[in-house]
Amino acid sequence: MRKIYALLKKDFLIEASYKIAFIFNIFSVAASVLTYFFIDKLFGHRITAHLEEFGVNYFSYVLLSMAFFSYIGVGIGSFSSRIRSEQLQGTLESLLLTPTNVAIILLGMGLWNLIFATLDVLIYIALGIFLFGIDFSNFNILSTIVILVLTVISFSSLGILSASCIIILKKGNPVSWVINTFEGLLGGVYFPIAVLPAALQSVAKCLPITYAIRGIQLAVYKGYSLGQLRLEWGFLLVFCLVLIPTSLYSFTFALKKARRQGSLIQY
Amino acid sequence: MNTILIELKNVSKSFYPPLAWRKILSFNFKNTPVCALENINLSLPGKSIIGVLGTNGAGKTTLLKIISTLILPDTGTVKINKYSTEHDDQKIKSIIGLVTTEERDFYWRLNGRQNLDFFSTMYGLNKKQAEGRINKLFKVFGVDYQDKRFDSYSTGMKRKFSLIRALLHNPGILLFDEPTKSLDYNTSLELLKYITILKQQGKTILFATHNITEAEQICDRFLVLNRGRILGFGTKEELGKRIHSDSATLTEIYLKLTGK
Repeated sequence: MRKIYALLKKDFLIEASYKIAFIFNIFSVAASVLTYFFIDKLFGHRITAHLEEFGVNYFSYVLLSMAFFSYIGVGIGSFSSRIRSEQLQGTLESLLLTPTNVAIILLGMGLWNLIFATLDVLIYIALGIFLFGIDFSNFNILSTIVILVLTVISFSSLGILSASCIIILKKGNPVSWVINTFEGLLGGVYFPIAVLPAALQSVAKCLPITYAIRGIQLAVYKGYSLGQLRLEWGFLLVFCLVLIPTSLYSFTFALKKARRQGSLIQY
Repeated sequence: MNTILIELKNVSKSFYPPLAWRKILSFNFKNTPVCALENINLSLPGKSIIGVLGTNGAGKTTLLKIISTLILPDTGTVKINKYSTEHDDQKIKSIIGLVTTEERDFYWRLNGRQNLDFFSTMYGLNKKQAEGRINKLFKVFGVDYQDKRFDSYSTGMKRKFSLIRALLHNPGILLFDEPTKSLDYNTSLELLKYITILKQQGKTILFATHNITEAEQICDRFLVLNRGRILGFGTKEELGKRIHSDSATLTEIYLKLTGK
């Protein structure tokens, strides 16, 4: 625990030393929310039929998806970006010289970004409630937490897979590329997957993000219970069970390969 | 700490340089490896300073990185205090400290104290132990510039922090990779004095350098490397006998052994 706290404190101190970046982040969130507010004004009514099952308009749908996507983005990107940043700074080698378990280093690296993403989510939600009057009163707290935790774990596992690629390839990470390119398009973040042609909907059903976004929308806006969301959390659980051991194995393998190649500090 | 022994058996290491675009485009994926270490067999005794001598590319850094578990050898085994670098790396990391010339291996946005606090925890020290240890080491190394951001420190000060970090967990083995590189004369002398003090405290020290005069000042034994091969290992007298000269200086021995 002390080592995880130390990693967290170190990341906080480094982040706090970039004061302007923190303020810009708040403006970035507000700007993206406003963009989707005006897109909704222009085209929102055209996809209202596809949003019927969620019982919300386009803007409410996309605001929650984007807020939630912050967590998913953290899961996918935080490990590889932290590893890459430590590689570029030159601190990865000194960190790996300490008698610290790799899993603890990974957890510590991911945790700060998770806290930062929570801040983003709170900004999204606060803007939604106070500026745009979105109604979150139906949300089912237990279902939301379960979907959230399973999503963070499954996407963190994908993130660790992505970090394994970074350890070996340094740049040009195929896992991250596939996820970033197709998850937004196929996962129902910016529009419900019902809008997609049937063939793409079938592909979307193989992705964890589809179940994560759908689960969170229904838990928050419709107040669905865990029983009603069994398909969503069930699939997410399967993703977790497959991805956790795969990702940890791949990271250990990548680290060993980098030690064998002598490329740990190369970037 | 007298029992600490570093043992290398049949250790070889080669590196593969990245393929050039010209080769990739012509579908020629043949890559010629660069040999860094070749069939190294060594048993290093404890409580001494061993100078690792050689030119650039002799294999000094690779040897230290293999001992510190950062690099795995292609063939052979490395045992430190009976622990294998491949399987018991966590145990080895708690008994070794590595000092390099790499200035970027600290967090430059943090100050010196914050960096050492962080690394103390990562080395398993609790808050009280860390505070006592850091304060003691600050006193020994004359550091009174701990609250400024790390990037504002001079090269000499950064090197002192590197040495302090390597000593935080009080390791029995210390590996120095050209520690006096780009230091001024006075700071180099100061650093060499500290290394001698560390030996008196019973540490086993590997001191990689291409500065033979410095090595002669502080080392008990010398390991001469050239192109990844051991050309000689022993005390100055033992190495002198190998070139049939009892009165040769270390520089003469080195030049003779390396065929220069």
